[in-house]
Formats: sequence, C-alpha cells, structure tokens
Amino acid sequence: MKRLLVVLFLLVWGLAAAQTSLRVVIAEYSGLTGPFFQDVAADFQRAHPDIEVRIEVVPWDLLFMRLTTDIAGGRAPDISIIGTRWLAEFVAEGLAEPLDAFMTDAFRGQFIEAFLTPSILDGKTYGLPVAASVRAFYYNKDLFEAAGITEPPVSWDELREAARRIVEETDAFGFGLQGGEIEADVYWYYALWTFGGDILTDDGQSGINSPEAVAAAEFYRQLIRDGLTQPGPTAYGREDLQELFKAGRLGMMITGPWFIGHLAAEAPDLNYGVAALPFKERPATMGVTDTIMMFSTSRAKEAAWQFLEFAFQPEYRFRFTQGEGMLPVLKAVAEDLYFAEHPRLGTIVDLLPHARFAPIVPEWERIADITVRALQLVYLEQAPPEQALNEAAEQINRILGR
Amino acid sequence: MLKRSFIYWLLLAPLALVILFPFAVMLSTALKPRAEVFSFPPRWLPSRFAWENFTAMWDALNIGNALLTSLIVTALASLLVLAVSVFAAYAMARYAFWGKGVFQQYLLVTQMLSPFVLVVGIFRAMVQFNLLDTLLAIILVYAAFNIAFATWMLYRYFEALPTELEEAALVDGANRLQSIRYIFLPLALPAIAVTSLFTFIWVWNEFVLALTLLRSVENYTLPIAIFSAVGGRYVVEWQQVMAATLTATLPAVLLFLYLQRHLQRGLLLGSSR
Amino acid sequence: MRLFKLNRLIPYLLLAPSLALTLFALGYPVYDLVRMSLHEVNRFGMLQQFVGLQNFSDLLRDPLFAPSLYRTLVWTFGIVVGTVLLSLPVALILNEPFIGRGIARTIILLPWAVSLAMTAIVWRWALSGQHGLLNATLMDLGLINAPIVWLATAQTSFPIAIGIGILVSIPFTVTVFLGGLSSVPGEIYDAARVDGATGLPLFRYITLPLLKPFFNLAVILNVIYVFNSFPIIWVLTEGGPANTTDILVTYLYKLAFRFGDLDVAATLSLIMFAILLAISVLFALLTRRGESRA
Repeated sequence: MKRLLVVLFLLVWGLAAAQTSLRVVIAEYSGLTGPFFQDVAADFQRAHPDIEVRIEVVPWDLLFMRLTTDIAGGRAPDISIIGTRWLAEFVAEGLAEPLDAFMTDAFRGQFIEAFLTPSILDGKTYGLPVAASVRAFYYNKDLFEAAGITEPPVSWDELREAARRIVEETDAFGFGLQGGEIEADVYWYYALWTFGGDILTDDGQSGINSPEAVAAAEFYRQLIRDGLTQPGPTAYGREDLQELFKAGRLGMMITGPWFIGHLAAEAPDLNYGVAALPFKERPATMGVTDTIMMFSTSRAKEAAWQFLEFAFQPEYRFRFTQGEGMLPVLKAVAEDLYFAEHPRLGTIVDLLPHARFAPIVPEWERIADITVRALQLVYLEQAPPEQALNEAAEQINRILGR
Repeated sequence: MLKRSFIYWLLLAPLALVILFPFAVMLSTALKPRAEVFSFPPRWLPSRFAWENFTAMWDALNIGNALLTSLIVTALASLLVLAVSVFAAYAMARYAFWGKGVFQQYLLVTQMLSPFVLVVGIFRAMVQFNLLDTLLAIILVYAAFNIAFATWMLYRYFEALPTELEEAALVDGANRLQSIRYIFLPLALPAIAVTSLFTFIWVWNEFVLALTLLRSVENYTLPIAIFSAVGGRYVVEWQQVMAATLTATLPAVLLFLYLQRHLQRGLLLGSSR
Repeated sequence: MRLFKLNRLIPYLLLAPSLALTLFALGYPVYDLVRMSLHEVNRFGMLQQFVGLQNFSDLLRDPLFAPSLYRTLVWTFGIVVGTVLLSLPVALILNEPFIGRGIARTIILLPWAVSLAMTAIVWRWALSGQHGLLNATLMDLGLINAPIVWLATAQTSFPIAIGIGILVSIPFTVTVFLGGLSSVPGEIYDAARVDGATGLPLFRYITLPLLKPFFNLAVILNVIYVFNSFPIIWVLTEGGPANTTDILVTYLYKLAFRFGDLDVAATLSLIMFAILLAISVLFALLTRRGESRA
C-alpha cells in the first residue's frame, strides 16, 4: 500500500513537473479581446499538451497598476501586453527579455518594419507589436456638403476655413479638439509635427517650446477662442469626441483606424471620409504600437516563446487585427484582400510612411503629463502659449537630464 | 399625521430628487437600445424598453458568477468582522482596563490609511503567505479594514446600554455568560444589525483591494466585473454597464428595506420597563 | 485568587482577535510604506538606495503639493460640513413617525447601495456637455439656455464634486444619527415633557447633548473617509484640467501608478496619514470636554 502511494506520488509529481505553466496578461481592447486570446490559448494547448496557458484579462486603465503590484510582489507574469511607451522603463529595470535569440530571420521578416522598430532599443528587440495604429483625419461628408465644402482640407488654414463654414451653415461643431485625458498631448503633436516641430530635438532636449510648437499651440488656442471647436475641450477625451462625431454633430476629428469599425457598427448611415492629416510644413501623423513582451523573470522562456510564435501566425493576427480595428503588423496580413482593398483602411495604411512615433524615453508618462498641463492652461486661456510651453520645456529638460 | 407627513415629505423632496437623479439616469440608459444611448438631444425615455440589455450584460460581464462571489465574500467577511468586533466592543464597554484608550486610538488609526495607499504592501504580504488570488485573502483583508469601524460603532452602542439589567440577572443567580446571552445580546441586536449593514455595504462595493488581490475572472467580485466593462476599453457598452450597476445595487437595497426597521427610536427602550 | 487574575485577562483576550487580524493585514504594508519612503524606489517597488528624508523634502518642494493640500482641506471641510448640516435635520425627520417613512429612509440610503466608482461614472455621464441628461433636464426646465460643459474647468467641476461627495456621505451620517437618536432613552424625554419642555428647548438641551458622541463619531469618520476619497474626483476630471482639481489622493495615484515614483508616493501617504492623525487628535481634544459633561 505504501509503495503504491509512493508510486502515485511520484507519478503525480512527475506529471506536474512536466507541465509548464504560463501566465499571460492581456490588455482589454474590447469585449472581443478576452475570448480571442482564450481561443488562441486553447488551440495552443491542444498543440502543446505539456504547456498550460492562463490568460488574465485586465482593462487598460488598470494595467499599469496591476503590473506594478505584480512585479513589486515578485509575481511578474511570463508574458504581458504593455503600452510601448512603457517599454523604456521595463528595459531600464532589466525586466524585458530580448527576443533576438528566439527569432529566426524568417519570423522577423514577417513584420512591417515600421511597427517593429518602436520595440527595438539599443539594437535589441524587446517585444513584438501586438496592436498598431496610425491616426487619420475623419470628416463628415454630409456636413461638408451642407457647408459648401467639396474637398477635405489639405492645410490647417483650409481646416480653419472649413470649420468656420460648418459652424455658420450647420448647427454642428467644426473641428473636434481633445483637451482632456490620456493622449491630450498626442492631439497636439499632430499639429506640432505638421507645423515642423518635434517633441525632442536632435540633441535630446525638449522641443515643445520651439517657434513651430508655439505656433501650433497658438493655432489651436485660436480655434477654441473663435468657437470653431466643440465647447469646453478640456472636458473631452477621445471617446467623447468619437461619440460626437458618430452622432453627426462634429465635422472633423483625428483618431485611429478602429473608428471605422465603430462607425460601421453604430452609425452605418453616417456619410464620412478618411484623409491625411492637414499639412503645414510637412505631412505627418502619429503611429502607436502596443507591445507584447516576455519578462526576464519568467521561468518558462522557451514555452513563452512558443506561445508568442504561435499567436503571431497570420490567421490569428488577421482575426485580432480585424476584430479590434487595428492596422496589420504582419506583411502577410496587410496583403490580405480585406485590408488591401478596404478603401478607408487603405487610405490609412498609405499614411504609414509619414508616421512618427512617440519617443521611447523613461519617465515618458511624467513628460506627457507636463505637456498636457501646459496645453490645458493654453486652451483655458490661463497662460499664453509661449510662457506655458517654456515652463513645461524647462521641467521636461530637467527630467531628461536626470 | 397627514399634515405632518406632507410637511416632512416637502422638506425631504429636494434631497430625494437629487439622490434619485443618478438612479433615473441609470435606469433610463439601461433600458435604451445601443443606438439611442448617445442620441442628441438626450432623452429620458427610450423609443422602446430594451430589456434585453439585462440578459445581455448578465452573460457578457459574467455577472452571475460575480454576484455569487460577492455574496460569499461579503457574508463571510461581515460575519468575521462581527465575531471579532463584538468581543472587542464588549470588552471596551463593560471593562475598565489599562490600554483601553490606546486601543481606541489604534483602531481609529487603522482607518486612516486608505487601502489604496497600502496596495503594494498588502499585495506583497499576501504573496508571502501564498494567499494570492484566493477568496480567503480578500475576506481576511476586508475584515481587517472594517474591524476598527465596527468596534467603534458597537462600543458606542454598548456603552449606551444600561448595565442594570445584566447586574440584576447576576444578582438573580445567572453567571456572566448567561447574562450576556439572554440579556445583553438581545438588546445589542439592533446595534449589531446596523453595524453589519455598514460592513456589508463597504465590502460589497469595495474595489481597489479586490482588484489587487483577485486575479482570475472566476474570482471577480461585482465591482471589478463592472469596472472591467468600462475602464480603458475602446468601446463601452454603456447600456449594459448601467444595467449591471442597477443589478449590483439590488441586494444592498433589499438589505436596507429589511434592516431599516432597526433604526427606530424606542427599540432599545423596551428593556427599561 | 486565580479568578481575580483570570478576570483581569478577559478584556485582553477579547481584544486579541481584532488586534491580530488588523496587524496581519496592515502591519506589513505599513512597514513596507515606511521603508519605501526612506529609499529610492524604482517604478516596480524594488528598493534601491537609502536616501533618508530626501523624499520628504522633494515632496515639500514640489509646486503641486501645496495647492493639492489646500484643495484637500477645502474638499474635506466642504463635504463634512455640508453632510453634517444636511444629515441632522434629515435624521430628525426620519426619526419621527409619518406616512411613507420606510420609503423615505430607503431613498435617503440609496446612494450607499452603489459603489463610489459607479456613482462617479454615472454622474460624469450625466454631466456630459452634449449628451448629458443634466443639461437636457435643466434646459427642459428652462433654467439654462445652452448646455454647460460642467467638467471643463475647476470652477464648475470642483463644487460639483463636493456636492456629489455630500450626497454619498449623507446615508452613512444619517444612519449614525438615527442610531444615536434611537439610543436616547425615552424616559428622559418623558421626564422633560413632564417638566414642561417642548420643541426647540427640548431639542437643544436634551437631544443635542445626548447626540454628541454620535455627532463626533460621524464627523471624525467622515473626515477620514473623505480625505482619502479617490473615485469622485478621479472619474470626473482626473484631477485636471492642469491639476486644478487635484487633491492629495489623486496626486498620490498619479505619482505611484503613472509616473512610477513609488518612493515619493509612499512619503506622501505617510504625510497624509500624519495630517489625518493631527486632525483627529485635535478633534478629540476639542470634544473631550463636551463628552465628560454628558
């Protein structure tokens, strides 16, 4: 009897040891995200019965707090989706595992280079792009027609004129300007870049108080002051603007490719168009990626890599990208007819060559926060642009210098 | 009576209206079909009552499971708090001992650190005890956070209870335990009911700690289940979120209706006669 | 002799479980907090080097600290005073028998049934400039002509946040007062009435003093809860625009979970704790005289 128990014990222990367990943290984009990754995990476990995969789905708003507490408690997951803007911090603390050793050239070659680059620091690839977007200009064709505008504005001055006409001829708002919440600074970078400015200058200093930057901020301020935007921009986050546009009460706004899916589902009768961002000195738009990374503290790196490799097969990538309304990161997916022939998505993909990404520096959140604060002071007419931006640049430079 | 009731209602009306306003908003939104949620100008009444939102959110947010989990966690945590606090409050109300003042201050102090601030430390502690992602951990932590308040409340109530009855019982030959069981407890019941109400509400709605300590979806309590449908998503199904919130408030409201009788004047007086 | 000694131990035995449970859940975290505040800590809670009191001086020199502190005091004072002023008459009314009293009580208690985060979310929704039902209702009633964007500036959003804070604090405070009112033995009222007292003097000289300990309890607990209350301001404005509605606890969240300055955040939480402690000690001193009289 005793021997039987010993044998049983060894058997169970052996089985348990043979089973590798992976914890994967997934950020929630929508109600589809969780089920999608559960499916991938289920398929993976069928193909690899000796590896167990546990998917944890976390809302974006809580993701950073969750990861911080996990890591602080010594319980970091094996794999996690993170915002690429956080990558620099993870790398600096040695928490991100470089993937170059795992990747074959063939695997690497699958990716659209522009989307892979933001995850490469110091020549090492620290993560794979799991979601990517490029921002585009959306405009309401019916409102344009009512206001007597035939073409989407090409320059910012044309945009100003279009907004003025819309406000005069219709009871909708002209240009949607996001002044609050996450990415309020991004909304201004659209102007900053197209005005010829840069977030960071070549010598690593803050560029937000350059003459171009001040001009861009002044331009926005005047739009608000002249009533060409929705009232109270500092109370509007991106979702709020999107809702306004969906309701047909906003003439123009800038946002990402997922909006096409939203509009198709919730406002199918809305007659709208997609175009490049307005231009002043140079064309530009913002590219954003989210990265999926492996933790250096993981005790099952081989298994983790197998999961990543599995999840990045084109069929899964296609399903995810289409479901969440993102842009394809794999060339194979981009060539799929759905994306290649989609009129609006195609327009957005064409903007890729001009896409700029946020600089990957540690303390980016703090820098963005300082920028947002300065912008809000300007939008609320509580400080003139030059002064607000100068002060902000000074604070940012101090942080960069650290 | 009629005139008095009318005046009282008149006085309470403004407050009642402001209180009911968000509930009306919730109900209105919960019953709207998705397309009408953002209509302009915003309307109170939907074109039709979209009762399917309730069934849809039940599945989408896994509310059934979260409801059960919340009920279990809340019930157990409340019981634990009561068990521990009744003893402590009885000690403070019926005994004089060295350290009583210190203990009182200690209790108050434990209330001053919001759970939020201690999140990282609590997480690390639970990892040490290997209790992460267990309901046991969250029950213990919830209980710990509520003991101070429960003990204070009970202490105040117990202190106000006249001791003559218990002493009379002792004189009549009952021992201490018997006097507690047959005299003290029945008198203390309203106070215990009210205190358990406070604890129930606190635990039922608590969010930050649950988020930190609970990981798997099966272990989610209601606040987390609902918040995860809102926070940081690219598309928020507001009508479902509102429906879920209304559903989540139901147990608490039922508890109110049941327990509010205990807030009556005179309940504690019967004893003196 | 043995009985005497055992008797002495009883109160401590009764206290032991509560002491143990609180120390278990709170002891280590507090120790952790103190440790973090004295070190430089990276974004992920890993201690790096001992820096003594430097975090404290960094925090005090932070230009955002003082305004947040001031605003927190305004926030706390505003809500607690407002709550107590409203709760007392409400409790008095609800203590009297009248038709539909049960319903009235339930209505007053309703804000309690919803989690604070959800209440804030619903209010934010209702306060939305364009599709918020508050603007719609106010316009229908003819009180305003055009929608007001309530959350765009601190002048409108902060008072509203305080108002919501009062609404959600009323149920708790009313319950405490009702409990207090119900513990006033009836004989005292009867005796006073026999002596000819009615109405206002009855209230002032009998009810109010007997209510005092409950009043104090309500105030001090409200101060503690409101001081640390995060969801309302966070959901409405995230402390913005431009940090103009930031209170200490929302600022703390940003420090800890956005900027990753866990060391400064730990320091801030200790300072907040010290402030609360000071307030409660002050309050206890002020009210001790009142209590002994009763």
